Amino acid sequence: MMGHTAETELALYASGDLPVWRRLVAGWHVRGCGECRELVETFRTDRARLQRSADRLPEDIGWDQLSAEMTANIRVGLAAGECVAPRAPKGVALTWWRPVAAAAGVLLLIGGAWWLNIPSSDTETIGRALHNLATGERGGLSQIAAQEERGPMVGASASGVKLVENGGSLGIQQSGLQPVMYSVSTQGSASTRWVDQDTAQVTITTVYDQ
Amino acid sequence: MTSKAIPIFVAVLAWSATGQSLNHKIDLGKDSPVGLLSEDFGNSNVIARGGASQIEVNASLSLRNSSQKRIRSMTLMVYAQDGAAGGKGSVAVPTLDAAPGETFSIGIKTLLVRPVASGNPAVEVKLDGILFDDLSFYGPDTLHSQRTMTVWELEAQRDRKYFKSLLETAGAEALRKEMLASLARQGDRSSMGVQMVRGRATNVETDRELQFASLDIPESPIELSNGLARIAGNEARGPRFDVRNRSGRAVQHLEIGWLVKGQQGREFQAASVPGDVKLAPNQSGQVTQDATLRFDRPLTIESMSAFVSSVEFADGSQWIPSRSALDQPRLRQVVAPSPEEQHLTQIYNRKGLQALIDELKKF
Repeated sequence: MMGHTAETELALYASGDLPVWRRLVAGWHVRGCGECRELVETFRTDRARLQRSADRLPEDIGWDQLSAEMTANIRVGLAAGECVAPRAPKGVALTWWRPVAAAAGVLLLIGGAWWLNIPSSDTETIGRALHNLATGERGGLSQIAAQEERGPMVGASASGVKLVENGGSLGIQQSGLQPVMYSVSTQGSASTRWVDQDTAQVTITTVYDQ
Repeated sequence: MTSKAIPIFVAVLAWSATGQSLNHKIDLGKDSPVGLLSEDFGNSNVIARGGASQIEVNASLSLRNSSQKRIRSMTLMVYAQDGAAGGKGSVAVPTLDAAPGETFSIGIKTLLVRPVASGNPAVEVKLDGILFDDLSFYGPDTLHSQRTMTVWELEAQRDRKYFKSLLETAGAEALRKEMLASLARQGDRSSMGVQMVRGRATNVETDRELQFASLDIPESPIELSNGLARIAGNEARGPRFDVRNRSGRAVQHLEIGWLVKGQQGREFQAASVPGDVKLAPNQSGQVTQDATLRFDRPLTIESMSAFVSSVEFADGSQWIPSRSALDQPRLRQVVAPSPEEQHLTQIYNRKGLQALIDELKKF
């Protein structure tokens, strides 16, 4: 049927059910194509025959009863088909979120329990160990354990000064400021220096390990 | 069930994260030269996190100098009252300069995480020291603040004298150039996050010895030599120096600046090495520290240098390097400017040359 108008289109054309634009296109084709014109004529003939048959139906036919019977038959057919058809997984596309939501809930629960109960120093230690394992850096867990065994640690960085000891920590920052310098002392202290942009006041914050 | 559990869990989290108010105490000492006008701990709180308490101190103290002398600097100690955290912190203002009767404020922002103890957690803010313009000192000096604050004051006097002299002899334009040069140096200074652990590890992998290059300051009362530290990976530990007192006065304490140069050629002041060594004139000794320095980023240490940054004599007086001594290019690039120099450059940067000149005229 390459080059011809589709049969469904021709059927609708024959019954006058095509929209205006498609009717014009189909009409233009039918006028130039004998095969399609012939098909359109066939559709029209069949339609006229059906119309005549309908006109011959008895006057006292019970259309409501007929409709109810047809509906009942269709339902029985559908139920029977469902009984014998292979069982397809029910509603897979609609329930995918359930396991995802359950997993998210469990993760939230574990994260919350961790946040509430595990000291941040332990979290940092485990994080460093995992990082070292992932990147293959030397030392790994044994080196971290050795570092943790040494006792209190003081540190100074752009985020302020911090003392970490026995699962506790002490940090000092200055709100809204970036330190202009930081350093540590081998006698067990770490310092950062801050300059207030407006007052030019210098503040030095320090933590001590004893 | 999951959909019901999540809101309950979120509610529990929200409840546990709600802070309780913080008990606090402020101790300025008896007959203190400063009086507390007001305190604001309004944004401070305590948050329980399972087995730990997170104590957040956001405080502002308004104080008045009730003495007859100018206060040049002040140090406040901050610590948990039960001492469970095992450490303490301090907040110091080295460029205060409060005249008699003048009021000033000090802000404290501290985060303390420690195991939950019985009773309500409490934080104490205690005066550790006040240094006056005549170098006299008030306070318990628990943190050895007097020594540090005296060095800050000597540096302030040295730098203010230098800038005033420059203004008088070479004019305002020369002062402006010097300020710009200082700001440029401060911007160019390298720094790196560092951690320090006292003691030494027993199973750290193979290390190597690396010698310090001694940056000699001819005017220094202490001669530094044979500096050595052990390097292992990202760490340097166990610094050791030979020192000789070449002055005619007995020395009781000194501080050594520890400079580190990485493979990328960046050099920075990583730490200071204090030493309580009693040295008679011409006597030699050794400064050793059983400590490990660790950098928070990967660093291959290529070389290390050291210089004497301050010396305390037996009578309590101190020596610091002069401006000309620090002018040698090697030191000038890496040694941190004094707090006073940063204070003055910030005034210039923010308010301009005239404001700086007015500030220099104050004292």
